[in-house]
Amino acid sequence: MTPPPPPHLERIRLTGTPTGRSVRLAEFGEEIDPLQREQLLAYGLSGAQSITVLQQRPMTVVLCEHMELALERDVAQHIWVEAE
Amino acid sequence: MPESCHTSPAAPVSPDARTLALVGHPNVGKSVLFHRLTGTYVNVSNYPGTTVEVARAAARFDRAASMLDTPGVLALPSRSEDERATMRALLNENLRLIVQVGDAKNLRRTLNLTALLTELGVPLVMALNMTDEARARGVTVDVEALAETLATPVVATVATGGEGVAALTEALPHAKAPAPMLRYDTETEQAIHTVTALIAERAPHPHLAARGLAILLLGRDKEVASWISAQAGGAEILAKVEEIAPLVGRESLPARLARERGRAAEALAKTVSQQSAGADRTLSLLVGQLAVHPIWGWPLLLLMLLVVYFFVGDFGAGTLVGLLEEDFFGEILNPAVTTFVQTHLGSGWLSELFVGEYGLWTMGMTYALALILPIVTTFFLAFGVLEDSGYFTRLSVIANRAFGAIGLNGRAVLPMVLGLGCVTMATLTTRILNTPRERLITTFLLALAIPCSAQLGVVFGVLGGISFGAAAIWGVCIVLILLVTGWLAGKLVKGQRVPLITELPPMRLPVLGNVLKKTSGRLKWYLVEVIPLFLLGTFIMFVLDRLGVLPWIIEAGKPVVTGWLGLPSEASAAFVMGFLRRDFGATGLFALGNQLSMIQAVVGMVTITLFVPCVASVMIIFKEQGWRTAVLMLAIIMPVAFFVGGVVNHVLHLFL
Ligand SMILES: Nc1nc2c(ncn2[C@@H]2O[C@H](COP(=O)(O)OP(=O)(O)O)[C@@H](O)[C@H]2O)c(=O)[nH]1
Ligand SMILES: [Mg+2]
Repeated sequence: MTPPPPPHLERIRLTGTPTGRSVRLAEFGEEIDPLQREQLLAYGLSGAQSITVLQQRPMTVVLCEHMELALERDVAQHIWVEAE
Repeated sequence: MPESCHTSPAAPVSPDARTLALVGHPNVGKSVLFHRLTGTYVNVSNYPGTTVEVARAAARFDRAASMLDTPGVLALPSRSEDERATMRALLNENLRLIVQVGDAKNLRRTLNLTALLTELGVPLVMALNMTDEARARGVTVDVEALAETLATPVVATVATGGEGVAALTEALPHAKAPAPMLRYDTETEQAIHTVTALIAERAPHPHLAARGLAILLLGRDKEVASWISAQAGGAEILAKVEEIAPLVGRESLPARLARERGRAAEALAKTVSQQSAGADRTLSLLVGQLAVHPIWGWPLLLLMLLVVYFFVGDFGAGTLVGLLEEDFFGEILNPAVTTFVQTHLGSGWLSELFVGEYGLWTMGMTYALALILPIVTTFFLAFGVLEDSGYFTRLSVIANRAFGAIGLNGRAVLPMVLGLGCVTMATLTTRILNTPRERLITTFLLALAIPCSAQLGVVFGVLGGISFGAAAIWGVCIVLILLVTGWLAGKLVKGQRVPLITELPPMRLPVLGNVLKKTSGRLKWYLVEVIPLFLLGTFIMFVLDRLGVLPWIIEAGKPVVTGWLGLPSEASAAFVMGFLRRDFGATGLFALGNQLSMIQAVVGMVTITLFVPCVASVMIIFKEQGWRTAVLMLAIIMPVAFFVGGVVNHVLHLFL
């Protein structure tokens, strides 16, 4: 049996995004603590914002507008993104 | 940084003067603008969290008005300690105008904050700063359109170059209370409406609009809540907020408010700004990426440390100190002063007081001017360049894992690195950390194992004079101690570690003028604060020596100092000196100079590095953490210092 096609584009974790790729923000997982979620919003990670992954190790670094943001794995893996 | 060690240089303004506040995100140029608008220099550096306290000075264009430089806010409602300081200023000052300093290359984020500021009912002017960087990245903002929408002046500026500052000054009198940027959804608006009506009736604020306060209150701003609770009708309002907060939807009210503001900011940013394609590969971005690269980050760090070592340890502590201390003070100045004093005061105790073994001139001033001054000068220069480059924040990315091991996150790198400049100021900077737990652990590690500039200089001077290896062993010891005590502290102090999320400011070419200004400010601090303490210390040593107490202390300290630490017994005197300032104690060891073997020098420097923090920083710990914590820290630090020193002594003897 093949699974039904996903309703939207496929969602992947930010940590699973290859370096250099631009993706769209989809959702923050429930695992992210509310204060940190607020912090992410304040940094401008909101809406269907387009972000570019610059590196994954030792921390995930993304370019959002013209700001570089470093995220620890524990947070980045609960951020869901989809291909542009 | 040392700047806060001396009192603020702000021009005097009466406390109830009309107040203009510079408000904005961290690291957008508020302090540079503050300098342009008031002529008062406050520390400017390329990392978030430089300003942790409100600075105040009279405005250049209107001496009767007082201008505030506030700590950067990531967002309002306030959450962190420094954001709360800004909120407090907005609530308690005689506020007539807010100048929002924005970042033109991150317009959406800037407008996110504007969406809240426009609700406060205070006239607003937007200084859209960093337009040079925006241009370099292909971003153009339609300033007129933005001003039109906000119904208030918007001025494009480049604070560092002074562009737009005149226009900004001219715009200030034309500021009006801006048009609100958005309407929240119906349900949220209802909640806001209810609370607004209550505030307007029971606890009106003299300057801020009730609606703005209601939004902040519903967003759980603790400062606003505490202001409201201090008003006569406050308790009732807070009760009402508790009552309606859970009613609005699945998402929490603060999150909902923030999301709506984000949406409005995004929409507005889209209509007034443009991004031309292909312009976002800048040199600054490339260098910045190299600095946080999983592989290249390390050689770069090593290179940076080596350059600093050669500039400070070799050139400053070697060449310059040699010229000053040995050649000028040793050969020329001190013999002349000694002869002069002795011919006028005879050779009794009075001349000993000035030019004897513990003489105010021969010890106090010579240490301060010939030994430490050249070292701290070179250090402050190197430090200022690094601060301005933006490298320090990048360090937190590669150090995050190591800091994870000690229960902190990479954000703590900044206070620790700043501690190398001045531990006292760095202790204040712990306010940028998110939790009390992180603040406590970082404060402890700063007090225990981070040498400040003056001390670092002496360490370089002593160990660099022996060999690079000796300095490296000292460095490894200190890092190990940081890791071990940090790990223990992380286990002992309750609470959870917070994962790191941090902005990395762009790498910038340091501004020479700014580096020089900072260096001279810090040197002034050094001269004003350290020299009197050195003189006082020398005087105490002189008195102890005269009273015959010093030989007694040296005798009493023998088992520990000679037995356990393996140092010559005269080193006890250095530890006594260390009580006043660690660097003074270290200088005492420096003076023993060639009497020390390599191992003794390393052991002495490790012990004195860990020894009690300086008086000023103990006072800040009292202030920030309370006396219980401060006393507890001191009680832990001293025994640890001697314990570790002894262990190093014995371990080194096993291997060398
Ligand atoms: N390129 C550029 N850099 C700026 C501008 N304004 C400030 N800076 C730099 O940005 C950094 C932060 O400035 P600062 O005034 O300390 O920011 P604050 O945290 O908002 O007070 C410093 O390195 C400044 O030299 C500007 O208009 N253009
Ligand atoms: Mg500042």
